[in-house]
Amino acid sequence: MLKYFINILPFIISLSLFAQEKEIDTIKYKDRYGLRVGIDLYNPINSLFDDDRKGLEFVADYRISKRFFLATEFGYIENTDHEDFFDFTTNGSYIKVGADFNAYKNWIGMENVIVVGLRYAYSTFNQTLNQYTINADPFLPEKTITNSIKYDNLNAQWVEFVLGMKVEVIHNIFLGFSFRGNFLINSKEPDNFKNLFIPGFNKVYLNNNGFSFNYTISYLIPLYRK
Amino acid sequence: MKQLKIVVFLFITILAFLSCEKDDICLEDITPKLIIRFYDFENTSELKKVLNLKIQIEGIDGVFTDESITILTDSIAIPIKVTDDFTKFILTITQIADDETTSENEDTFDLVYTRVDEFVSRSCGYKTLFHNTEIPLENVGGSWIDSIKVIDSEQNILNEKSAHVKIFH
Repeated sequence: MLKYFINILPFIISLSLFAQEKEIDTIKYKDRYGLRVGIDLYNPINSLFDDDRKGLEFVADYRISKRFFLATEFGYIENTDHEDFFDFTTNGSYIKVGADFNAYKNWIGMENVIVVGLRYAYSTFNQTLNQYTINADPFLPEKTITNSIKYDNLNAQWVEFVLGMKVEVIHNIFLGFSFRGNFLINSKEPDNFKNLFIPGFNKVYLNNNGFSFNYTISYLIPLYRK
Repeated sequence: MKQLKIVVFLFITILAFLSCEKDDICLEDITPKLIIRFYDFENTSELKKVLNLKIQIEGIDGVFTDESITILTDSIAIPIKVTDDFTKFILTITQIADDETTSENEDTFDLVYTRVDEFVSRSCGYKTLFHNTEIPLENVGGSWIDSIKVIDSEQNILNEKSAHVKIFH
């Protein structure tokens, strides 16, 4: 009888060891949840060597589940475009709200994000037509109108599809880049001119689409673990 | 891993600051020219071609030429001044007699109008449209032109789709 017990002992020990290992495994890592706030770096840096574009954008996102974030961007911009026959200045502010999905499966402890997101955006702005030259046959002298014309109280709303990423470079500090495809829903157009640039939307192409991007540095304020 | 991140971000930064070339070309209608068709003064529904036509605009050096003006032509398109409310056109035909001596016949007429600037597009900018166009009869010369008539009853020159003025000669 004892012989049998001795024979079976290693098996029992191994079973208990196995059970112990399993217990260690069940300790769960808790993700950090918090508010991430930051600014766009493109416009402040760009304005050092480009007088035609000044602006500032703030960004924020708040984690609501394992892979979803509420996200917003807001800012203002003053931009002058020089076209072949006229130049104009756009001045205004914008806000974008929506959600981001994290398409990146992090290793335990990592908090990087590959962003796939959607935004609703709204902007109020004014346009100043600084000058224009009549596009006519070059045989006759050209006429340039230099009295600037200002169009106030314009607005636009659009939808943005966001692709981007945020990488934690130092503890709680993230560098981010995002690229956006913009689709104009509607806009209040000026009389005898067109909204060719909209703050937050950037250049408006012929089919009312556009592209924009930002390059952000942000700080994560951790609030709780889950 | 950290180094790779830095490289990726530098690359993206450089991409972000590269600017793009302009790729849009103006394809829409710009400021319309004055389109004239020449008719026979004896049979006013018949087109009548003009031989060796020379077009000048008062105050402007040079002779206006383009593909619409050939040796023998029954319709021409001439630019209108966008800097004034009138344009004085000088049309000269060169006639070759049987003994091969040439003689120049010069006629002038004024076109009076009010200008309206209209936005076209990003690449085309603004064009001028000419409203309430008139040709004061007292200024129409009688060297080779018999009479001139503005066709459009609204008397606006808005595009180049059809003729604006008939010249009978």
